[in-house]
Parts: sequence; structure tokens; C-alpha cells
Amino acid sequence: MNELEAKEEIRLIQEMIEKTRQSTAESGTLYFFWGIWIILAIIGNYVLVWLEKYDWIWINWVAFVLIGMAYSAFYSIRQEKKQATATYAQIAARYLAMACAVGFVLFGLVFPLLKVYSWEVIPPFIAVIAGIELFGVGGIYEWNLLKWSGAFWWIVSLAMLWVPANFRTLAFVPVIIVAYLLPGWVLRSNYQKSASRNDT
Amino acid sequence: MTPEKFPPLDPVIHSQIRLAVLSILVSVKKAEFNYLRDAAGTTDGNLSTHLSKLEQEGYISVKKSFKGKKPLTTCSLTEKGRTAFSKYIKTLEDYIHFEKT
Repeated sequence: MNELEAKEEIRLIQEMIEKTRQSTAESGTLYFFWGIWIILAIIGNYVLVWLEKYDWIWINWVAFVLIGMAYSAFYSIRQEKKQATATYAQIAARYLAMACAVGFVLFGLVFPLLKVYSWEVIPPFIAVIAGIELFGVGGIYEWNLLKWSGAFWWIVSLAMLWVPANFRTLAFVPVIIVAYLLPGWVLRSNYQKSASRNDT
Repeated sequence: MTPEKFPPLDPVIHSQIRLAVLSILVSVKKAEFNYLRDAAGTTDGNLSTHLSKLEQEGYISVKKSFKGKKPLTTCSLTEKGRTAFSKYIKTLEDYIHFEKT
């Protein structure tokens, strides 16, 4: 073996690893889904406030979260079956997403329903967990856009403290558009480009 | 160190297809046969031969199952394979560094 052959073998190894990394990139579908789904839940929340059906607000959230989680589980299982490979990065990101989902349910629904704290502090807690999820996934896949989105959610969690309690949930709408739907759209666009490259 | 003192490259890995397969498997938990074939740019028969060689040496494990009604072959790297692959890369790097100096 000479140096040229050794370099050629290293190049082949790098090419294969990169090819695998690209072909298993995140599609962004669930970011899209959750962004829109939570905006719909927020609209439902304020419609119920406007109708003065305060007892129904929790039911609205429980229903949206349960349906959303059922769809996410269904989508993830279907995707897993379709995928020809399973990278360690994907597995780590999946477990992080599941851990954050448990965090959302506990901090957003269970603890307030058990009167551990008032509903007014739910939005900052939710923003912290959203930040952990996006920053963590951004770190796993080395996507700066997601890391920045995660950091933005943490800033939002602090800023929420200065927003009047009744408007905190509403304030989520622009944040979801900027720091959840936008990264989801970019991921989706990158995924589609990568998929079309792999097809050719 | 002189070139003679370098450990010899593992002959099981020292083949373009087998090296490509191990390079893919090192970053994934498992990969399907068709994915490996397309990524390595080879044919079914050729890949089967190389996978058998890697399996015989205990570098990969091959699992056969069904996806719907179609047979599905899934491969994953074993601990022995991971160690051998790391050693192989280390030897390649040593070789390149030696040539540079």
C-alpha cells in the first residue's frame, strides 16, 4: 500500500459515512405537525375563554395532546419501518423527543391539574422544555438553526414572565411560527433536496 | 517506525466493498441489504459474497426476516467488527503520517 491508496481508503470511509448521514436526515414533518397542532390548540383555548367555558380548557388541551401524541407515535413507527437504516443520532434524537414529550405532559398538564402550581407558570415551563428539545436535537445532528431556535425558546421563557398571565399562551403563536415552524420548513426543504439527490 | 513495522492491514476489511459496508455500519445501528447495495454501488450477488465473508469473521451480524411478504436482510456491526475497523483506520492514519514525515 502507498500513501495514495491509504488516502483513497480514508476518502471512501468519509464518503460512506456522509452518504449515510444525508440519507437519514430529519424530514421535519413532526415539527410542522406539532407547530400547527399547538397553534390550533391555542385558538381552541381562547375560543373557550371567549365563550366563558373555562372548565373545558383543560379538556381542550388534554384532547389535543393525546391526539397529537397518538399521531406522532403512529408516524414515527411507520417511518421506522420504512427506513433502511437507523443511525445512533436518530435513536438519540428519538429518545430526547420522547423524554421532552413526557416533560410537556407532566409540566403542562399533570402538575397544574394536581394544583402543584398555577396555570400561569405553564408557558415558561413549556418554553424551557421546547428549548431543551430543539437545542438537544440541534446538537445531535449538528444543525445550528435548531440550536439557535432552542436558545430562543429559553429567552422566550424568561420574557414570558413580563407578559400578562392571560396573554402568555397567545404569545406562543409568533414564537412557534419563528422557532418551530420555520426550522421545520427548512429541515423539510433540506430533506427533500437530499432525497432527490439520492434518487439521481 | 519503518513501513515494515506497521501492522499489516486486515485482509478481511481490505476490499473496497467490505470497507464501504463497514464504514456505513459503523455509524448506524442497523442497515438493510438494499441500502448497503445502493450505497456501495454493487450488485446483489457481489454484496452477498462480501457480507458472508464479514459474517464468517464475526465482524457483522446478519438477520433475515420479512417486511410484509418480502424477505428482508438486515446487517449490523459486532463489537469485534468495530474494534477491527478502528484498528484498520488507525493503521491507515499511521501510514499516511509516516509517509508525510
